Amino acid sequence: MIIAENLEVSYRHSQEPVLKNVNATFDSKSLVLGPNGSGKTTLFRAVCGLTNITSGRILIDDLDVEEIYAKTGVLAVNFPEVLSLLSIKVHDLIELYADLTDGDSSIAYKILTDLGLTDKILRSKRLRELSAGQLKAVCTAIALSMKAKHVLLDEPFEQLDPARKHVLIKYLASYDGIIILNTHETWLLRKLIGWNVFFMFEGALYGSVHVEDLLKARISLKDEPKALIRMKVSGRPISLVKGRKGKPILSLESLDKVYELALEMEKT
Amino acid sequence: MEYWVFMWAYIFSGGLPPIEEVVRDYTSLAYGSLIIISLSAAATAICNELIYSSKSIKFVTKYTRFSPLRFLAENFASCFIVLLIISAVMFVSIIGLFCYKFGMLILPQNATGLIATSLLSAIFLYAFSAFLSLLLVVLKAPKSASFISFVPLILSFLAYGSLWVDFKILAYISPLNCITALCYHFFSGKQPVTGAFLMLNKGDFMDVSFLASSLIAWTISLFILVVVLLRKIKGIGIEEIRLV
Repeated sequence: MIIAENLEVSYRHSQEPVLKNVNATFDSKSLVLGPNGSGKTTLFRAVCGLTNITSGRILIDDLDVEEIYAKTGVLAVNFPEVLSLLSIKVHDLIELYADLTDGDSSIAYKILTDLGLTDKILRSKRLRELSAGQLKAVCTAIALSMKAKHVLLDEPFEQLDPARKHVLIKYLASYDGIIILNTHETWLLRKLIGWNVFFMFEGALYGSVHVEDLLKARISLKDEPKALIRMKVSGRPISLVKGRKGKPILSLESLDKVYELALEMEKT
Repeated sequence: MEYWVFMWAYIFSGGLPPIEEVVRDYTSLAYGSLIIISLSAAATAICNELIYSSKSIKFVTKYTRFSPLRFLAENFASCFIVLLIISAVMFVSIIGLFCYKFGMLILPQNATGLIATSLLSAIFLYAFSAFLSLLLVVLKAPKSASFISFVPLILSFLAYGSLWVDFKILAYISPLNCITALCYHFFSGKQPVTGAFLMLNKGDFMDVSFLASSLIAWTISLFILVVVLLRKIKGIGIEEIRLV
């Protein structure tokens, strides 16, 4: 279980915090939905211990993240900059991380074969020589092969074509552990029934709500007291409500469109 | 580096009398000076490696079997081997080329002392480059990444200046000067001076035990700082270094 308590992160002391008083408990498979630049990746970096926490703390299985050292099976992540420890062939990198984490490299090979990456590519190329889509696929496969209890996946579907997205979803749904996945795409909600969803806007985290409830919810640009989630976007209230009022969340495709929607609804 | 060995053998040695004692003195100076430059050039690569993989280092020391100390030990072991190979290549090429040029085989007067100095130099330069790169990462100063990685090389060229300049007391404080002086001492069998090795008015004679103590103290202090910094780093992304 990962718990964030009153978490604030700033990259520079003079700057406005990138994460603002984030409180959340991730105890099952979860999605963090938010537009680009909302702070999703920063949240993941903070959970990994890769950024300075200004205030608050993060607990992973009751251990402060700052105190965790040399613990395998606790956390895995698909950040390319984290996984490029050595400039070696992808095949060797997969073996290295499986060895270092007591993971299972065959999981990574199976996922990558299904995603269309041949053994020849894995044996002949380094991480930096892969295309953006291949890089994301390899990093996600390595993260899943670490067999960690918690897996943080930063935009794992980015740059993947629709067929490969569906292949990857199968692996995420069947993973035996807590996956926390961040994305700005809403289409995959239908595929992740049973997951919890958090929303992230402008450094603030809202939620959680079950995917099933969210699929029936609509976006209202009012502060609705009985809403599933009440949020603030650019100073405006936004509520996710059950019922027929507002726009279905799936119609947005990407949460980047929340800002367009807010402008449209303001005009009408 | 072989270019500089060639320069020392064929260009800078113009007018050098073919007397064994003179050639021994010259060879000792060449080894002492070129060893710090060649090891510092390798230290630059170590700095770059640690800076560019700092995020990976943070992650693997937290969520894999590598503890910070184990990572440090394994990284040190691999870099140490490379630094020793460089020292050996420099030694063989200087001995070989100087033998070919001057027609006499000049071997170190105290081989054990020279080997010990080479080992200590490699350990110091690893500790120094690791300290510089981890400090940069802790201070979150990606703008200075290129400059910091060249600091060992810049300092080695300053220490190279001891051939002409008397560093006086600084020769004891500067670890790179200590390496040059110790190599000179064990190679030639003579007492090193504080600087101006090639000038008529040389510096004062130095105490070899002080030189060794200074280098050991620097190495131990830097290693302690490296262990502390390794736990404090959060990592700098490659993009952050590229963007600034």
